[in-house]
Amino acid sequence: MALIRRKWTPAAADEWTREDWITIVLSPLAYITLAIGVALSIFLLKIGFIVLGAGVVLTALMHWVIDPKLKTISEDYEKKQKDYLEELEKIIRWEEIK
Amino acid sequence: MVQFVFLDWLWIVFFLALMIGCGVLFYRLGKRSESDFFLAGRGLPWWLPASSVYATHTATDTPMWITGVIYQHGLAGIWYTFFSAWCAISAFVSTRIFRRSLAYTQAEWQSLRFGGLGSELLRGWLAGWQVFMNMFILGWVGIAMGKVCNYMFDWPVWVGLICFSSICAIYVLSAGYWGVIMADFQQGIIAFAAIIIVSVWGVIAAGGPQAIVTGLADLGQSWRLNPFHFSGWLSGDFPGAWFITMLVIALIGGFGMGTSIDWYAEAQRIQSARTVRDASYSIWWGTALVVVRNSIWAAAILGFFVLFPNIQEASEYELGWFRLGLDFLPAGLLGFFFAAILAIHLSTISTHLNLGGMYATRDIYHHYINPEAPEKRLIWVGRFTTLLLLLGSFVFGLMMEEITKWLIFALWIMAAGVWLPNILQVIWWRFNAWGYLSAWIANLGLSWLVVWVLPAFRVIPEMPDYLQFWALMVLTALIYLPVTFLTRTEDMDHLVKYYVMSRPIGFWGPVRREAERRGLLEQVTHIE
Repeated sequence: MALIRRKWTPAAADEWTREDWITIVLSPLAYITLAIGVALSIFLLKIGFIVLGAGVVLTALMHWVIDPKLKTISEDYEKKQKDYLEELEKIIRWEEIK
Repeated sequence: MVQFVFLDWLWIVFFLALMIGCGVLFYRLGKRSESDFFLAGRGLPWWLPASSVYATHTATDTPMWITGVIYQHGLAGIWYTFFSAWCAISAFVSTRIFRRSLAYTQAEWQSLRFGGLGSELLRGWLAGWQVFMNMFILGWVGIAMGKVCNYMFDWPVWVGLICFSSICAIYVLSAGYWGVIMADFQQGIIAFAAIIIVSVWGVIAAGGPQAIVTGLADLGQSWRLNPFHFSGWLSGDFPGAWFITMLVIALIGGFGMGTSIDWYAEAQRIQSARTVRDASYSIWWGTALVVVRNSIWAAAILGFFVLFPNIQEASEYELGWFRLGLDFLPAGLLGFFFAAILAIHLSTISTHLNLGGMYATRDIYHHYINPEAPEKRLIWVGRFTTLLLLLGSFVFGLMMEEITKWLIFALWIMAAGVWLPNILQVIWWRFNAWGYLSAWIANLGLSWLVVWVLPAFRVIPEMPDYLQFWALMVLTALIYLPVTFLTRTEDMDHLVKYYVMSRPIGFWGPVRREAERRGLLEQVTHIE
């Protein structure tokens, strides 16, 4: 079994999996490194360029990990969306209230 | 006072014509349905709501307070702006869950997540609170524009407040969220360009990057380049404990809904995205731009510090970034700079006008007053409530000096004691409407006690704000947890329906098993 899954069935993509947790860790790290990296790079400090580079790599890695799963979730969900929207309109008109 | 030449005025007239043109151009799309007027028909590619996330969170007062914290604390002050990083986790957790719910608003989501009387009470409360909050934010941001115009042109503050919010209302009233999002896209580009131009100009005015580093060293202020320079772990005005608390609030808050005041505006952008994936990327990339923008500002402010190192008055150094633009940009570019100030102002105003109008229309008028209202009527109600918000914001703005302290306290109420319940409602099936409602009520009383009453009577010492946060979190839990366990679970049919639609993260075992027993979940098959 590969560490990062690249092909998903709709049912498997709906589950919360290791790929989500890796993204949850990478995403804040990307923000932190981008924030520090940009500021220090403007002062042409070497550490700034290194941290900024790390931020770009983390961002790319995060997208690589999560994008196939998000695509599958989206494609599957859009098929069901029309029915859900009809239900939502019933709720606002009190037709679903028991 | 700033002197404009012909070219400066030309920039401003051109920009305003462009913005109002949006309203006229998208008028027909905006009036098609309630969904179009408030969510642009739920069909936007990720980069449009992303630019709106960025533009909305760049307001007239934003450069002032960022300048304030960077001038005071050096680069470490950037963490004050890092509360926006709640989107780091939210983009892939609560954004996904909320987008799948399809709720127009957070108030509407309450009636999907919870059921019965409790959910209706929550929906009504959140809708009313959000109408109020949007009016308050409009007043707050509006008066900041009044002050900028007063500084630049010596106009009375009410002129800047009323004049530009009213111009903005033209395209919001005409095209609703279509106008907001299309104008935000242009405003985002203009504002980002101006932030880079002015900041680079400021850095050059301070002698360039190397000169700033050397200048700080000469002043004995090199610590200002250290993003982790704190006043101690627990001591001083900027301790490490505050930093850790901020990280917890911002990052863990991403698992919940409503853990940040910005959630309510982002929720609208999430629902306007055409797919779950677009929603996630719109929130992530919009906030990434905010994070990068803050860093660019921070570098420019350090340049400002080297130029003017001994300013004591906060009201004076808070205008630092504006001064970089106004004092150092050449004539002709000043108008572009002011057009950018207008861009960051209008983007925030337009968002909150439409957002407040959506809560008033969707959750109050449509749900409680006229459930059978036709689409045409709903759009007119949307326009009418938008106008009421605009007028209310003028009143708020003009009395802001007197009420700011009270209302910042009101914002704090939103953040502290209900922070954990905002997460629990997403991740824990057993948390019910009564638990959430009791958390709000308990927090209302406890925050008064912890922040003001008990310290005033010397029952407890006055605590720093990060300790108040932890105290309020624990104290409110002592009330809402017993309430949750002593009241009934939500109806299982309702929970199963919500679970199958939204697929929430966390502790949903009993609901999942029930959904599986009913054959509502597909079997997971592994493809490698």
